[in-house]
Amino acid sequence: MTIKQFLNERLPLGEFSAHLRKPLPKHINLLFSLGSLAMFLLLLQAATGAFLAFYYSPSPEHAHNAVTYISTEVPFGAFVRGLHHWGASAMVIIVVLHLLRVVLYSSYKAPRELTWIFGVLLLLIVLGFGFTGYLLPWDEKAYWATVVGVEIASTAPGLGDFVAKVMRGGAEIGAVTLSRFYALHTIWLPWLAFGLVGVHLFLVRYYGSSGTPKNTPEEMKTGKPFYPHQVFEDVVGMLILFVILAAVAIFVPVPLEDVADPTNADYDPRPEWYFLFLFQLLKYFQGPFEVIGTFVIPTVGMLLLLFLPFLDRSERAVLWKRPIALTVTSVSVIGIVVLTILGGTSKKLETTDAAVQETSQPTEQIQGTATPDTETVEEGEAVFDFQLTEEEIEGARAVEEEAQ
Amino acid sequence: MEKRGRRSFLEIATAFIGGILGLAAGIPLIGFAISPAFKKGESKWVDLGLADRLKNSRFKKVDYTFTAKDGWVKATKKRSVYVTDTGNGKWSVFSRTCSHLGCLVRWDEQKESFLCPCHGAIFDKTGAVIAGPPPEPLQKLETKVEAGILYVKET
Repeated sequence: MTIKQFLNERLPLGEFSAHLRKPLPKHINLLFSLGSLAMFLLLLQAATGAFLAFYYSPSPEHAHNAVTYISTEVPFGAFVRGLHHWGASAMVIIVVLHLLRVVLYSSYKAPRELTWIFGVLLLLIVLGFGFTGYLLPWDEKAYWATVVGVEIASTAPGLGDFVAKVMRGGAEIGAVTLSRFYALHTIWLPWLAFGLVGVHLFLVRYYGSSGTPKNTPEEMKTGKPFYPHQVFEDVVGMLILFVILAAVAIFVPVPLEDVADPTNADYDPRPEWYFLFLFQLLKYFQGPFEVIGTFVIPTVGMLLLLFLPFLDRSERAVLWKRPIALTVTSVSVIGIVVLTILGGTSKKLETTDAAVQETSQPTEQIQGTATPDTETVEEGEAVFDFQLTEEEIEGARAVEEEAQ
Repeated sequence: MEKRGRRSFLEIATAFIGGILGLAAGIPLIGFAISPAFKKGESKWVDLGLADRLKNSRFKKVDYTFTAKDGWVKATKKRSVYVTDTGNGKWSVFSRTCSHLGCLVRWDEQKESFLCPCHGAIFDKTGAVIAGPPPEPLQKLETKVEAGILYVKET
């Protein structure tokens, strides 16, 4: 008995094979490979992430050193980290393009509403991966982008402060936050992502490809078979994407800034490029209207996106034949692109400071062990640290008591 | 009819047991995860140094550290403030944390303002918002001088 016979007798391989070979709609183009590319990137992120975890340590004392070690000492470390880092950006691009393809051909319409909803939830998961992932190197960008991100959550009416504390695991970002974000990034979100992808794929196969609106009902089942024709095209797309990513991973080093410093006010916090539109948006809502930028617009926008199939009741047609959908999509896309550019090109803050250059003096006038005060100058701004040791404080108290 | 009754009973009982199992495991797990949100922060006085050393300071940037518990770690926390000697032994100490979304503000000597590098907030020298998104003024920290040492209340 061959292995094939053995498996055939025990598993419905014939049915599975027939299902894979079912014909797609006649009018299908390259844009229909975007979903497969997103799936490929998810697997690539899972694989590179699982290997990065061999060397990473989620604690403020070790995280930055671990990432430096991965990037500079582990063979292929910079490449693996590069694939993971740039893969995350590629994932956001591909998922958004996939979403736009679905909007373009109104593929979210009945009976595929649930497929769309699970797809939007996956977009949220991808953004969640991005947000939890970039804290992990524990550099300046990681720290400050997370400070701002969590503060945005804290502005939500009612439960905002509570949500922010749960996210941080306390009053401020520290060891508990890092281990929380690591758990979310490597356990919770991957499980959720693969679960949602499973449902999304099941629904895609169950209802079949939506094709373009050009397909007549007869043409919906007269195209090329999914396997091997469409799968071949998808695999070629994956190969091209991997070559591009690998080239970027080799030639563009992944940035790693100085270790996170909660007192470094000379650092101008900026989020990853895919959150720049939100960063820029927040500048326009001032005072009591702050919550509109931090909570109302993102939440309403996401809810509208989630329930789009129930809001757009027009006949299925390509985007340019649906004036309202075309207007809303164009305004949203242009708005996000413009805000992203404005956020990315916003000037860094330059201040003129007195920068008083004081000579540090040991505190001889008090008893106890005198420690020199420190003064450092960060980009022209003087920083002073006059703190006393416990012995010095005791000494000062003793002097005062004697005087009394 | 009898069989149907038995089937309904089994369905309801299964759902009930499932619900009990979910609650029995879920409540402690959720409590485990969200418990840090219910912990009350402690405030304490932290020394900034000898008050004499900070005499005549005007929006001087002073860094300080203190130890605080961060989960299982006794961590050294770093903070940075702007200290001004307002005379008569009184001090004005501003937190550098922007009241908008937590970035650190910088004092600009020429503009006599605190500027935030994130979303363009500007606070005047009293900490009041004069431009940008913050809904509240800059936080002023409580101060005291004991044995010639200037302390700020860290919350």
